[in-house]
Amino acid sequence: MDWTWFHKWGSPKWFYELSGKWLPWLVGAMVTCLLIGVTWALLFVPQDYQQGLTNRIFYVHVPVASISLAFFPLMAMAGTIFLVWRMKLADVVVKVAAPLGAWFTALALASGSIWGVDTWGTWWVWDGRLTSLLLQFFLLLGVVSLRTALEDSEGAARACALLSIVGCINVVVIKYSVDWWNTLHQPSTNFTLATDQANGPEIWVPLIFMIVAVYLFFAISLILSTRNEILQREKRAQWVRDLVAKS
Amino acid sequence: MQFSNFQEFIEMGGYAFNVWSVYGMFLIFLTINLYGPLRKNRQIIRDLKRRYALNAQVPPMPARAGSQSSPGLETTVEERA
Amino acid sequence: MKAHRRKRLSVILFVAAGLSVAVGLTLYALSQNIDLFYTPTQVAQGEVNAGQRIRIGGMVREGSVQSAADSLAVRFVATDYANDVPIYHEGILPDLFREGQGIVVEGSLDNAGVFQASRVLAKHDENYMSPEVKAALDAVGTAPEGAATRPGT
Repeated sequence: MDWTWFHKWGSPKWFYELSGKWLPWLVGAMVTCLLIGVTWALLFVPQDYQQGLTNRIFYVHVPVASISLAFFPLMAMAGTIFLVWRMKLADVVVKVAAPLGAWFTALALASGSIWGVDTWGTWWVWDGRLTSLLLQFFLLLGVVSLRTALEDSEGAARACALLSIVGCINVVVIKYSVDWWNTLHQPSTNFTLATDQANGPEIWVPLIFMIVAVYLFFAISLILSTRNEILQREKRAQWVRDLVAKS
Repeated sequence: MQFSNFQEFIEMGGYAFNVWSVYGMFLIFLTINLYGPLRKNRQIIRDLKRRYALNAQVPPMPARAGSQSSPGLETTVEERA
Repeated sequence: MKAHRRKRLSVILFVAAGLSVAVGLTLYALSQNIDLFYTPTQVAQGEVNAGQRIRIGGMVREGSVQSAADSLAVRFVATDYANDVPIYHEGILPDLFREGQGIVVEGSLDNAGVFQASRVLAKHDENYMSPEVKAALDAVGTAPEGAATRPGT
């Protein structure tokens, strides 16, 4: 098998140049999806038969919460690539993903709380879903502080990669907590194509726009932070000098 | 359209606080995580420009074997900075 | 892939697999304690002692809600359609509280077998729809799957 494509990804310069070309397109697509999604969700989605207009929160909470589960698998994948192939770029991804993941998890927790205050009658309860997501928040803060504590050394990179792999177990717990245990949080919704049933297209089509927008946003902010980290780590390289001289 | 006038839209069926605080937090979150890295990028480039200019003023030392791009002076400048 | 890389990868996979098994077993052992609430059937089987602070989850039985005229006191029956627990609560109820709704109550059983709830939380199921769709579904008598068939979820 030809591995050149794989090793190409290890080149910071290659990544920096390619991502620079992608970014405007990604931002354009994200803004489009976000504007359509937010307008649709706020103005046109019918009110819920039980929750009334609080169902608007659904369109922020669900995309943000779903992508917050992607962080540990992503960091574990990058961490494994770093541990096995010693690819520096993979470690950069582990480093910049952790604080971003903490942001996403915090927003998922906060939006869920505000949704729960009136619908459940409480802003917090120690059930399986909420507790495991809170654990993920602290695990991500753990990865961030591990990096700071070990001062960006090789050891810090290895420890963070390992913690990322271990943290994946918690993602499985978060995902299935609502099925395994009695929780206050409802199970995942099964959406349907039928227009005359619950969870029909009038509910999920705007959700798709929001999910795509939030996923694109995730990619954009991850790429932006990765580029910054690359510049700092590669400041001695000639291509960074050339790039700085040009700007 | 679920609302007949602007007032109704703001009131959100009595859930104005919940809905608007979540969308407000979402907006703040998007701004921080987009504007933050962009601003940092400009700052890094500015810092590097200054650092390279400072290096250029100091007479270069012989390059270390094996390093292609490093003139071998960054360490001294970093210690100063 | 070079040999030392394959070795590193297998060590990582081995550690990850070992940890998953360990965590899985721990969770399995803990699973009883992680449940947020008891069901009325568990209460009927005597798994709960009077005075013990617990949560009970079930549906509000249709036609069982009695509110006091001059206070916030309310009586209702929580059911899993197999067993019932009478509930007494004084205080504010969540917006989603209504007959047929899934709820979780926090408090303790008194000696008369009435559950004195200090807090009432509403569960909602995973189904989202407009009032029009709900009315149409009710008219043909098909509640969405899971809404009423799985009490306490």
